Amino acid sequence: MATNSTSFYDLYRHGSLGVSLTDALDDLISAERIDPQLAIKVLNQFDRIVAESLQEKVKSRLTFKGSLDTYRFCDEVWTFLIKNVTFKMENGAHTVQADKVKIVSCSAKRTDEK
Amino acid sequence: MSNNQVGPVYDHIIQEVINAVRVDFEENGVDDGILEELKKGWQHKLSQLGVATFPWDPKPEPAQPPAPAPPTNAAPVNNTATQQAQQAQQQAATNYTQSTLSPQTSAQPISHMGNLQQNGNGMIKNEPGLKNDPIIKQEPGTQAPGMVYANNAARGQMVAAHRAAQALESQYGNRAAASISAIQNSMQPQRPGQPPTQQQMQQQQMQQQMQQQQMNPQQQQQYRQGFNAMHQRMQQQQQQQQQGPNGAMNGLPAAQVDGPSDGFEGILMQRGPDGQPVEMGRVEIDNIIHAQMLARAKQMEGGGLMLPLREATRHRGVAKKRAAACPSQMDGPDDDFKDEDLDDDAINSDLDDPDDEKDDDEDDEDSMSHMMLCMYDKVQRVKNKWKCTLKDGVLTVAGKEYVFHKATGEYEW
Repeated sequence: MATNSTSFYDLYRHGSLGVSLTDALDDLISAERIDPQLAIKVLNQFDRIVAESLQEKVKSRLTFKGSLDTYRFCDEVWTFLIKNVTFKMENGAHTVQADKVKIVSCSAKRTDEK
Repeated sequence: MSNNQVGPVYDHIIQEVINAVRVDFEENGVDDGILEELKKGWQHKLSQLGVATFPWDPKPEPAQPPAPAPPTNAAPVNNTATQQAQQAQQQAATNYTQSTLSPQTSAQPISHMGNLQQNGNGMIKNEPGLKNDPIIKQEPGTQAPGMVYANNAARGQMVAAHRAAQALESQYGNRAAASISAIQNSMQPQRPGQPPTQQQMQQQQMQQQMQQQQMNPQQQQQYRQGFNAMHQRMQQQQQQQQQGPNGAMNGLPAAQVDGPSDGFEGILMQRGPDGQPVEMGRVEIDNIIHAQMLARAKQMEGGGLMLPLREATRHRGVAKKRAAACPSQMDGPDDDFKDEDLDDDAINSDLDDPDDEKDDDEDDEDSMSHMMLCMYDKVQRVKNKWKCTLKDGVLTVAGKEYVFHKATGEYEW
Protein backbone atom coordinates (compact mmCIF):
# COMPACT_ATOMS: atom_id res chain seq x y z
CA MET A 1 0.00 0.00 0.00
CA ALA A 2 2.93 2.32 0.42
CA THR A 3 3.92 4.64 -2.35
CA ASN A 4 7.47 4.08 -3.35
CA SER A 5 8.51 7.63 -3.92
CA THR A 6 7.32 9.16 -0.71
CA SER A 7 7.01 6.25 1.71
CA PHE A 8 3.58 7.44 2.68
CA TYR A 9 0.60 5.23 2.31
CA ASP A 10 -1.89 5.95 -0.40
CA LEU A 11 -4.44 4.36 1.88
CA TYR A 12 -6.33 7.57 2.49
CA ARG A 13 -6.98 8.03 -1.18
CA HIS A 14 -9.83 5.60 -0.73
CA GLY A 15 -11.55 7.77 1.83
CA SER A 16 -14.02 10.45 0.88
CA LEU A 17 -11.36 13.14 0.85
CA GLY A 18 -9.10 11.17 -1.44
CA VAL A 19 -11.89 10.01 -3.70
CA SER A 20 -13.16 13.52 -4.23
CA LEU A 21 -9.65 14.74 -4.94
CA THR A 22 -9.12 11.95 -7.43
CA ASP A 23 -12.42 12.79 -9.07
CA ALA A 24 -11.55 16.45 -9.33
CA LEU A 25 -8.17 15.58 -10.81
CA ASP A 26 -9.78 13.18 -13.23
CA ASP A 27 -12.07 15.91 -14.44
CA LEU A 28 -9.13 18.17 -15.12
CA ILE A 29 -7.22 15.41 -16.85
CA SER A 30 -10.06 14.42 -19.12
CA ALA A 31 -10.51 18.08 -19.98
CA GLU A 32 -6.81 17.99 -20.85
CA ARG A 33 -6.03 20.87 -18.59
CA ILE A 34 -3.38 19.11 -16.54
CA ASP A 35 -0.97 16.25 -17.06
CA PRO A 36 -1.57 12.89 -15.44
CA GLN A 37 1.96 13.18 -14.05
CA LEU A 38 1.02 16.37 -12.32
CA ALA A 39 -2.01 14.67 -10.84
CA ILE A 40 0.23 11.93 -9.48
CA LYS A 41 2.33 14.56 -7.80
CA VAL A 42 -0.77 16.05 -6.27
CA LEU A 43 -1.81 12.67 -4.93
CA ASN A 44 1.64 12.05 -3.50
CA GLN A 45 1.47 15.35 -1.69
CA PHE A 46 -1.98 14.42 -0.52
CA ASP A 47 -0.69 11.17 0.97
CA ARG A 48 1.89 13.03 2.96
CA ILE A 49 -0.32 15.85 4.10
CA VAL A 50 -3.20 13.65 5.18
CA ALA A 51 -0.92 11.52 7.28
CA GLU A 52 0.69 14.55 8.88
CA SER A 53 -2.56 16.38 9.44
CA LEU A 54 -4.22 13.41 11.06
CA GLN A 55 -1.23 13.06 13.31
CA GLU A 56 -1.01 16.67 14.31
CA LYS A 57 -4.48 18.10 14.16
CA VAL A 58 -6.68 15.34 15.48
CA LYS A 59 -6.86 14.61 19.15
CA SER A 60 -10.08 12.69 19.55
CA ARG A 61 -10.26 9.11 20.69
CA LEU A 62 -12.55 6.32 19.76
CA THR A 63 -13.39 2.87 21.02
CA PHE A 64 -15.36 0.22 19.29
CA LYS A 65 -16.62 -3.28 19.93
CA GLY A 66 -18.03 -5.89 17.69
CA SER A 67 -17.65 -9.40 16.37
CA LEU A 68 -14.89 -10.07 13.94
CA ASP A 69 -16.06 -11.69 10.75
CA THR A 70 -12.92 -11.76 8.64
CA TYR A 71 -9.34 -10.91 9.34
CA ARG A 72 -6.49 -10.77 6.96
CA PHE A 73 -2.89 -9.78 7.27
CA CYS A 74 -1.14 -9.36 4.00
CA ASP A 75 1.84 -7.25 3.05
CA GLU A 76 1.81 -5.56 6.43
CA VAL A 77 -1.79 -4.53 5.99
CA TRP A 78 -4.49 -5.65 8.35
CA THR A 79 -7.96 -5.94 6.98
CA PHE A 80 -10.82 -6.60 9.35
CA LEU A 81 -14.42 -7.08 8.57
CA ILE A 82 -16.36 -6.51 11.74
CA LYS A 83 -20.05 -7.04 12.21
CA ASN A 84 -22.44 -5.43 14.62
CA VAL A 85 -20.09 -2.74 15.69
CA THR A 86 -20.67 -0.01 18.22
CA PHE A 87 -18.42 3.00 18.02
CA LYS A 88 -18.04 5.15 21.07
CA MET A 89 -16.73 8.60 20.55
CA GLU A 90 -14.45 10.00 23.17
CA ASN A 91 -16.96 11.87 25.22
CA GLY A 92 -18.94 8.71 25.58
CA ALA A 93 -22.27 10.32 24.92
CA HIS A 94 -22.04 9.79 21.23
CA THR A 95 -22.33 6.26 19.90
CA VAL A 96 -22.74 5.01 16.38
CA GLN A 97 -23.94 1.59 15.35
CA ALA A 98 -23.10 -0.21 12.17
CA ASP A 99 -23.90 -3.72 11.06
CA LYS A 100 -20.70 -4.07 9.14
CA VAL A 101 -17.47 -2.15 8.99
CA LYS A 102 -14.37 -2.77 7.01
CA ILE A 103 -11.13 -1.67 8.55
CA VAL A 104 -8.05 -1.28 6.44
CA SER A 105 -5.01 -0.56 8.47
CA CYS A 106 -1.38 -0.07 7.59
CA SER A 107 1.49 -0.38 9.97
CA ALA A 108 2.11 2.80 11.89
CA LYS A 109 5.77 1.94 12.35
CA ARG A 110 6.66 2.31 8.79
CA THR A 111 5.60 5.92 8.58
CA ASP A 112 7.54 6.68 11.73
CA GLU A 113 10.67 5.14 10.32
CA LYS A 114 10.73 7.16 7.14
CA MET B 1 -17.87 15.02 18.49
CA SER B 2 -15.09 14.07 16.16
CA ASN B 3 -17.47 14.62 13.29
CA ASN B 4 -17.21 18.34 13.97
CA GLN B 5 -13.49 18.10 13.60
CA VAL B 6 -13.75 16.71 10.13
CA GLY B 7 -14.61 20.01 8.48
CA PRO B 8 -11.66 22.02 9.79
CA VAL B 9 -9.24 19.15 9.39
CA TYR B 10 -10.24 18.48 5.82
CA ASP B 11 -10.16 22.16 5.05
CA HIS B 12 -6.66 22.29 6.45
CA ILE B 13 -5.62 19.32 4.35
CA ILE B 14 -7.04 20.85 1.21
CA GLN B 15 -5.24 24.11 1.85
CA GLU B 16 -2.00 22.33 2.53
CA VAL B 17 -2.20 20.17 -0.55
CA ILE B 18 -3.06 23.10 -2.76
CA ASN B 19 -0.17 25.10 -1.36
CA ALA B 20 2.19 22.16 -1.64
CA VAL B 21 1.47 21.50 -5.30
CA ARG B 22 1.50 25.13 -6.34
CA VAL B 23 5.19 24.83 -7.14
CA ASP B 24 4.58 21.73 -9.19
CA PHE B 25 1.85 23.46 -11.11
CA GLU B 26 4.12 26.38 -11.84
CA GLU B 27 6.90 24.08 -12.94
CA ASN B 28 4.54 22.40 -15.34
CA GLY B 29 3.43 25.73 -16.68
CA VAL B 30 -0.13 25.20 -15.50
CA ASP B 31 -2.12 28.28 -14.77
CA ASP B 32 -2.91 29.20 -11.20
CA GLY B 33 -6.57 29.38 -12.12
CA ILE B 34 -6.60 25.69 -12.77
CA LEU B 35 -5.20 25.05 -9.33
CA GLU B 36 -8.01 27.13 -7.94
CA GLU B 37 -10.42 25.16 -10.05
CA LEU B 38 -9.01 21.93 -8.68
CA LYS B 39 -9.59 23.18 -5.17
CA LYS B 40 -13.15 24.23 -5.91
CA GLY B 41 -13.87 20.95 -7.65
CA TRP B 42 -12.44 19.03 -4.76
CA GLN B 43 -14.50 20.92 -2.20
CA HIS B 44 -17.55 20.64 -4.36
CA LYS B 45 -17.27 16.89 -4.65
CA LEU B 46 -16.60 16.53 -0.99
CA SER B 47 -19.68 18.55 -0.15
CA GLN B 48 -21.73 16.37 -2.44
CA LEU B 49 -20.75 13.33 -0.41
CA GLY B 50 -22.26 15.04 2.61
CA VAL B 51 -20.06 13.25 5.10
CA ALA B 52 -19.73 16.29 7.30
CA THR B 53 -20.30 20.03 7.38
CA PHE B 54 -17.45 21.92 5.85
CA PRO B 55 -16.31 25.47 6.45
CA TRP B 56 -16.70 26.36 2.80
CA ASP B 57 -20.32 25.29 2.71
CA PRO B 58 -22.88 28.06 3.10
CA LYS B 59 -24.15 27.82 6.63
CA PRO B 60 -27.95 27.74 6.45
CA GLU B 61 -28.61 25.23 3.70
CA PRO B 62 -26.36 22.32 2.88
CA ALA B 63 -26.14 23.44 -0.73
CA GLN B 64 -22.86 23.24 -2.54
CA PRO B 65 -20.56 26.22 -2.84
CA PRO B 66 -20.70 27.97 -6.21
CA ALA B 67 -17.90 25.93 -7.61
CA PRO B 68 -18.08 25.46 -11.36
CA ALA B 69 -17.72 21.90 -12.44
CA PRO B 70 -14.42 21.68 -14.29
CA PRO B 71 -15.51 19.76 -17.37
CA THR B 72 -18.33 22.08 -18.38
CA ASN B 73 -16.36 25.16 -19.30
CA ALA B 74 -13.52 23.20 -20.76
CA ALA B 75 -14.02 22.56 -24.43
CA PRO B 76 -11.37 19.94 -25.02
CA VAL B 77 -9.62 19.36 -28.25
CA ASN B 78 -10.91 15.89 -28.78
CA ASN B 79 -14.50 17.01 -28.54
CA THR B 80 -14.16 19.38 -31.43
CA ALA B 81 -12.29 16.83 -33.37
CA THR B 82 -15.05 14.33 -32.85
CA GLN B 83 -17.63 16.82 -33.92
CA GLN B 84 -15.64 17.55 -36.99
CA ALA B 85 -15.43 13.91 -37.79
CA GLN B 86 -19.14 13.46 -37.34
CA GLN B 87 -19.81 16.43 -39.55
CA ALA B 88 -17.56 15.06 -42.16
CA GLN B 89 -19.27 11.73 -41.97
CA GLN B 90 -22.65 13.29 -42.43
CA GLN B 91 -21.48 15.28 -45.35
CA ALA B 92 -19.88 12.29 -46.84
CA ALA B 93 -23.17 10.51 -46.49
CA THR B 94 -25.02 13.19 -48.39
CA ASN B 95 -22.43 13.74 -51.03
CA TYR B 96 -21.76 10.16 -51.66
CA THR B 97 -24.87 8.45 -52.81
CA GLN B 98 -23.19 5.18 -53.47
CA SER B 99 -20.00 4.79 -51.54
CA THR B 100 -17.50 2.24 -52.64
CA LEU B 101 -17.11 1.41 -49.02
CA SER B 102 -20.77 0.76 -48.47
CA PRO B 103 -22.00 -2.75 -47.83
CA GLN B 104 -22.82 -5.00 -50.74
CA THR B 105 -26.21 -4.67 -52.26
CA SER B 106 -28.12 -7.14 -54.34
CA ALA B 107 -26.73 -5.59 -57.48
CA GLN B 108 -23.16 -5.89 -56.25
CA PRO B 109 -22.24 -9.44 -55.50
CA ILE B 110 -18.51 -8.82 -55.31
CA SER B 111 -16.64 -5.77 -54.25
CA HIS B 112 -14.77 -5.10 -57.40
CA MET B 113 -17.99 -5.50 -59.27
CA GLY B 114 -19.13 -2.45 -57.37
CA ASN B 115 -16.25 -0.58 -58.85
CA LEU B 116 -17.02 -1.82 -62.29
CA GLN B 117 -20.56 -0.76 -61.92
CA GLN B 118 -19.46 2.72 -61.17
CA ASN B 119 -17.27 2.63 -64.15
CA GLY B 120 -20.11 1.66 -66.40
CA ASN B 121 -22.33 4.39 -65.19
CA GLY B 122 -19.78 7.14 -65.18
CA MET B 123 -19.53 9.26 -62.08
CA ILE B 124 -21.76 7.78 -59.52
CA LYS B 125 -22.61 11.19 -58.15
CA ASN B 126 -24.60 11.90 -61.27
CA GLU B 127 -26.70 8.83 -61.08
CA PRO B 128 -30.28 9.95 -61.56
CA GLY B 129 -32.83 8.75 -59.12
CA LEU B 130 -30.27 8.14 -56.46
CA LYS B 131 -29.11 11.70 -56.13
CA ASN B 132 -31.95 12.62 -53.87
CA ASP B 133 -31.93 9.40 -52.01
CA PRO B 134 -29.99 9.83 -48.79
CA ILE B 135 -29.86 6.12 -48.11
CA ILE B 136 -26.50 4.66 -48.86
CA LYS B 137 -27.23 1.10 -48.27
CA GLN B 138 -29.83 -0.43 -50.46
CA GLU B 139 -31.86 -2.92 -48.57
CA PRO B 140 -32.94 -5.53 -51.02
CA GLY B 141 -36.56 -5.20 -51.93
CA THR B 142 -37.23 -2.11 -49.89
CA GLN B 143 -37.37 0.59 -52.50
CA ALA B 144 -38.89 0.91 -55.94
CA PRO B 145 -36.37 3.29 -57.58
CA GLY B 146 -33.70 0.76 -56.81
CA MET B 147 -35.07 -1.50 -59.50
CA VAL B 148 -34.39 0.96 -62.29
CA TYR B 149 -31.05 1.54 -60.86
CA ALA B 150 -30.30 -2.13 -60.61
CA ASN B 151 -31.07 -2.60 -64.29
CA ASN B 152 -28.82 0.24 -65.24
CA ALA B 153 -26.21 -1.07 -62.98
CA ALA B 154 -26.39 -4.56 -64.38
CA ARG B 155 -26.02 -3.30 -67.90
CA GLY B 156 -23.18 -1.05 -66.89
CA GLN B 157 -21.56 -3.92 -65.14
CA MET B 158 -21.64 -6.07 -68.19
CA VAL B 159 -20.14 -3.41 -70.40
CA ALA B 160 -17.54 -2.62 -67.85
CA ALA B 161 -16.72 -6.23 -67.28
CA HIS B 162 -16.20 -6.81 -70.97
CA ARG B 163 -14.02 -3.79 -71.25
CA ALA B 164 -12.02 -4.78 -68.28
CA ALA B 165 -11.61 -8.30 -69.56
CA GLN B 166 -10.49 -7.11 -72.96
CA ALA B 167 -8.07 -4.66 -71.50
CA LEU B 168 -6.65 -7.28 -69.26
CA GLU B 169 -6.26 -9.66 -72.08
CA SER B 170 -4.53 -7.15 -74.27
CA GLN B 171 -2.14 -6.15 -71.62
CA TYR B 172 -1.35 -9.25 -69.72
CA GLY B 173 -2.50 -12.01 -72.00
CA ASN B 174 -2.75 -15.33 -70.32
CA ARG B 175 -1.35 -14.16 -67.10
CA ALA B 176 -4.49 -12.18 -66.41
CA ALA B 177 -6.68 -15.18 -66.84
CA ALA B 178 -7.43 -15.36 -63.16
CA SER B 179 -8.74 -11.86 -63.01
CA ILE B 180 -10.72 -12.20 -66.19
CA SER B 181 -12.33 -15.39 -65.14
CA ALA B 182 -13.16 -13.80 -61.82
CA ILE B 183 -14.97 -11.06 -63.69
CA GLN B 184 -16.79 -13.49 -65.85
CA ASN B 185 -17.75 -15.74 -63.02
CA SER B 186 -19.10 -12.94 -60.98
CA MET B 187 -21.14 -11.79 -63.94
CA GLN B 188 -22.85 -15.10 -64.33
CA PRO B 189 -25.31 -14.87 -61.44
CA GLN B 190 -26.50 -11.60 -62.90
CA ARG B 191 -28.07 -13.24 -65.90
CA PRO B 192 -29.14 -16.75 -65.21
CA GLY B 193 -30.60 -18.72 -68.05
CA GLN B 194 -28.44 -17.14 -70.69
CA PRO B 195 -26.08 -19.44 -72.47
CA PRO B 196 -22.43 -18.66 -71.95
CA THR B 197 -21.11 -16.32 -74.58
CA GLN B 198 -18.22 -17.12 -76.74
CA GLN B 199 -16.03 -14.92 -74.76
CA GLN B 200 -16.91 -16.73 -71.64
CA MET B 201 -15.91 -19.97 -73.24
CA GLN B 202 -12.63 -18.40 -74.12
CA GLN B 203 -12.20 -17.33 -70.58
CA GLN B 204 -12.85 -20.80 -69.35
CA GLN B 205 -10.26 -22.16 -71.66
CA MET B 206 -7.87 -19.58 -70.41
CA GLN B 207 -8.67 -20.53 -66.92
CA GLN B 208 -7.74 -24.09 -67.65
CA GLN B 209 -4.56 -22.89 -69.19
CA MET B 210 -3.85 -20.92 -66.15
CA GLN B 211 -4.39 -23.90 -63.96
CA GLN B 212 -1.89 -25.78 -66.02
CA GLN B 213 0.60 -23.07 -65.46
CA GLN B 214 -0.12 -23.42 -61.76
CA MET B 215 0.18 -19.86 -60.71
CA ASN B 216 0.66 -19.40 -57.05
CA PRO B 217 -1.76 -17.18 -55.12
CA GLN B 218 0.78 -14.46 -54.64
CA GLN B 219 1.11 -13.96 -58.34
CA GLN B 220 -2.60 -13.86 -58.68
CA GLN B 221 -2.71 -11.19 -56.08
CA GLN B 222 -0.24 -9.15 -58.06
CA TYR B 223 -2.29 -9.44 -61.15
CA ARG B 224 -5.37 -8.49 -59.26
CA GLN B 225 -3.65 -5.34 -58.15
CA GLY B 226 -2.55 -4.66 -61.64
CA PHE B 227 -6.08 -5.10 -62.75
CA ASN B 228 -7.34 -2.59 -60.26
CA ALA B 229 -4.85 0.02 -61.35
CA MET B 230 -5.60 -0.62 -64.94
CA HIS B 231 -9.27 -0.35 -64.28
CA GLN B 232 -8.77 3.03 -62.74
CA ARG B 233 -6.83 4.27 -65.70
CA MET B 234 -9.56 3.02 -67.90
CA GLN B 235 -11.90 5.42 -66.28
CA GLN B 236 -9.57 8.22 -67.09
CA GLN B 237 -9.07 7.29 -70.69
CA GLN B 238 -12.42 5.77 -71.37
CA GLN B 239 -12.03 3.99 -74.69
CA GLN B 240 -8.29 3.85 -74.81
CA GLN B 241 -7.42 0.24 -74.50
CA GLN B 242 -3.69 0.30 -74.82
CA GLN B 243 -1.81 0.79 -71.61
CA GLY B 244 1.66 2.10 -70.99
CA PRO B 245 4.18 -0.61 -70.30
CA ASN B 246 5.19 1.16 -67.15
CA GLY B 247 1.81 0.44 -65.61
CA ALA B 248 1.28 -0.59 -62.08
CA MET B 249 2.67 -4.04 -62.64
CA ASN B 250 4.55 -4.09 -59.41
CA GLY B 251 1.79 -2.65 -57.29
CA LEU B 252 3.21 0.83 -56.83
CA PRO B 253 1.06 3.59 -55.34
CA ALA B 254 -1.27 3.88 -58.27
CA ALA B 255 -2.26 0.31 -57.75
CA GLN B 256 -3.64 1.03 -54.35
CA VAL B 257 -6.21 3.55 -55.44
CA ASP B 258 -9.18 1.69 -56.75
CA GLY B 259 -12.72 2.60 -57.38
CA PRO B 260 -13.63 6.25 -57.62
CA SER B 261 -13.53 8.06 -60.90
CA ASP B 262 -11.19 10.92 -61.64
CA GLY B 263 -12.02 14.30 -60.23
CA PHE B 264 -13.54 12.65 -57.28
CA GLU B 265 -10.83 10.89 -55.44
CA GLY B 266 -11.49 12.08 -51.91
CA ILE B 267 -12.98 9.62 -49.52
CA LEU B 268 -14.52 12.21 -47.26
CA MET B 269 -15.92 15.53 -48.32
CA GLN B 270 -16.16 18.51 -46.08
CA ARG B 271 -18.30 21.51 -46.65
CA GLY B 272 -16.13 24.57 -47.09
CA PRO B 273 -16.94 28.06 -45.85
CA ASP B 274 -18.77 28.86 -49.08
CA GLY B 275 -20.93 25.80 -48.83
CA GLN B 276 -19.11 23.93 -51.55
CA PRO B 277 -17.95 20.45 -50.78
CA VAL B 278 -14.23 20.44 -50.35
CA GLU B 279 -12.34 17.25 -50.66
CA MET B 280 -10.49 16.26 -47.53
CA GLY B 281 -6.90 15.28 -47.91
CA ARG B 282 -5.40 12.12 -46.60
CA VAL B 283 -3.69 13.95 -43.78
CA GLU B 284 -6.92 15.56 -42.65
CA ILE B 285 -8.70 12.26 -42.67
CA ASP B 286 -5.85 10.68 -40.79
CA ASN B 287 -6.09 13.42 -38.22
CA ILE B 288 -9.77 12.83 -37.75
CA ILE B 289 -9.31 9.13 -37.36
CA HIS B 290 -6.48 9.67 -34.97
CA ALA B 291 -8.53 12.06 -32.88
CA GLN B 292 -11.34 9.57 -32.72
CA MET B 293 -9.03 6.81 -31.71
CA LEU B 294 -7.68 8.98 -28.95
CA ALA B 295 -11.17 9.72 -27.77
CA ARG B 296 -12.00 6.03 -27.80
CA ALA B 297 -8.88 5.19 -25.90
CA LYS B 298 -9.80 7.77 -23.35
CA GLN B 299 -13.21 6.24 -22.98
CA MET B 300 -11.75 2.83 -22.50
CA GLU B 301 -9.35 4.12 -19.94
CA GLY B 302 -12.15 5.62 -17.93
CA GLY B 303 -11.19 9.13 -18.82
CA GLY B 304 -8.34 9.75 -16.54
CA LEU B 305 -5.77 8.90 -14.07
CA MET B 306 -7.08 6.24 -11.81
CA LEU B 307 -9.78 3.73 -11.65
CA PRO B 308 -11.18 2.99 -8.28
CA LEU B 309 -9.08 0.19 -6.91
CA ARG B 310 -11.82 -2.37 -6.90
CA GLU B 311 -12.65 -1.77 -10.55
CA ALA B 312 -9.04 -2.19 -11.46
CA THR B 313 -8.79 -5.42 -9.55
CA ARG B 314 -12.04 -6.59 -10.97
CA HIS B 315 -10.69 -6.21 -14.48
CA ARG B 316 -7.67 -8.17 -13.56
CA GLY B 317 -9.84 -10.76 -11.96
CA VAL B 318 -11.87 -11.13 -15.11
CA ALA B 319 -8.76 -11.53 -17.17
CA LYS B 320 -7.45 -14.15 -14.83
CA LYS B 321 -10.72 -15.97 -14.85
CA ARG B 322 -10.81 -15.94 -18.58
CA ALA B 323 -7.33 -17.27 -18.78
CA ALA B 324 -8.27 -19.99 -16.39
CA ALA B 325 -11.54 -20.73 -18.13
CA CYS B 326 -10.10 -21.33 -21.58
CA PRO B 327 -6.85 -23.18 -21.32
CA SER B 328 -7.59 -24.49 -24.78
CA GLN B 329 -6.40 -21.20 -26.20
CA MET B 330 -2.90 -22.02 -25.19
CA ASP B 331 -1.92 -24.65 -27.63
CA GLY B 332 1.41 -26.10 -28.37
CA PRO B 333 3.74 -28.33 -26.47
CA ASP B 334 4.39 -25.94 -23.58
CA ASP B 335 0.78 -25.96 -22.56
CA ASP B 336 1.41 -27.55 -19.23
CA PHE B 337 4.28 -25.28 -18.47
CA LYS B 338 2.14 -22.19 -18.88
CA ASP B 339 -0.53 -23.59 -16.67
CA GLU B 340 2.03 -24.17 -14.02
CA ASP B 341 3.11 -20.59 -14.30
CA LEU B 342 -0.40 -19.40 -13.75
CA ASP B 343 -0.76 -21.61 -10.75
CA ASP B 344 2.44 -20.30 -9.28
CA ASP B 345 1.10 -16.81 -9.54
CA ALA B 346 -2.08 -17.83 -7.87
CA ILE B 347 -0.31 -19.41 -4.94
CA ASN B 348 1.83 -16.41 -4.29
CA SER B 349 -0.95 -14.18 -3.14
CA ASP B 350 -4.46 -14.43 -1.84
CA LEU B 351 -5.45 -11.63 -4.13
CA ASP B 352 -4.99 -13.81 -7.16
CA ASP B 353 -7.65 -16.20 -6.08
CA PRO B 354 -10.72 -15.37 -8.11
CA ASP B 355 -13.07 -16.50 -5.36
CA ASP B 356 -11.43 -14.29 -2.81
CA GLU B 357 -11.58 -11.42 -5.15
CA LYS B 358 -15.26 -11.86 -5.59
CA ASP B 359 -15.67 -11.77 -1.84
CA ASP B 360 -13.64 -8.62 -1.69
CA ASP B 361 -15.80 -6.93 -4.22
CA GLU B 362 -18.89 -7.78 -2.30
CA ASP B 363 -17.32 -6.50 0.86
CA ASP B 364 -16.34 -3.32 -0.82
CA GLU B 365 -19.73 -2.63 -2.22
CA ASP B 366 -21.50 -3.37 1.00
CA SER B 367 -19.20 -1.55 3.30
CA MET B 368 -18.34 1.34 1.11
CA SER B 369 -20.34 3.49 3.45
CA HIS B 370 -18.80 1.82 6.51
CA MET B 371 -15.10 1.96 6.27
CA MET B 372 -12.21 2.79 8.48
CA LEU B 373 -8.83 3.72 7.10
CA CYS B 374 -6.11 3.98 9.68
CA MET B 375 -2.72 2.92 10.97
CA TYR B 376 -2.27 0.16 13.46
CA ASP B 377 0.00 0.27 16.42
CA LYS B 378 -0.75 -3.11 17.84
CA VAL B 379 -2.89 -6.04 16.92
CA GLN B 380 -3.14 -8.71 19.58
CA ARG B 381 -5.05 -11.90 19.77
CA VAL B 382 -5.70 -14.24 22.62
CA LYS B 383 -7.64 -17.23 21.40
CA ASN B 384 -10.59 -15.70 19.65
CA LYS B 385 -10.38 -12.32 21.33
CA TRP B 386 -8.76 -9.55 19.38
CA LYS B 387 -7.50 -6.22 20.60
CA CYS B 388 -6.15 -3.53 18.40
CA THR B 389 -4.75 -0.13 18.90
CA LEU B 390 -5.29 2.04 15.90
CA LYS B 391 -4.37 5.60 15.21
CA ASP B 392 -4.65 8.43 12.76
CA GLY B 393 -7.77 7.15 11.19
CA VAL B 394 -10.73 8.20 9.17
CA LEU B 395 -13.98 6.41 9.80
CA THR B 396 -16.99 6.58 7.55
CA VAL B 397 -20.13 5.25 9.16
CA ALA B 398 -23.76 5.81 8.33
CA GLY B 399 -23.00 8.59 5.89
CA LYS B 400 -20.94 10.53 8.39
CA GLU B 401 -17.24 10.79 8.68
CA TYR B 402 -15.13 10.81 11.80
CA VAL B 403 -11.48 11.33 12.37
CA PHE B 404 -9.61 10.02 15.36
CA HIS B 405 -6.17 10.18 16.75
CA LYS B 406 -6.41 6.93 18.60
CA ALA B 407 -8.88 4.10 18.59
CA THR B 408 -9.03 0.86 20.47
CA GLY B 409 -11.11 -1.99 19.32
CA GLU B 410 -12.08 -5.24 20.95
CA TYR B 411 -13.84 -7.93 19.07
CA GLU B 412 -14.37 -11.65 19.06
CA TRP B 413 -13.96 -13.90 16.14
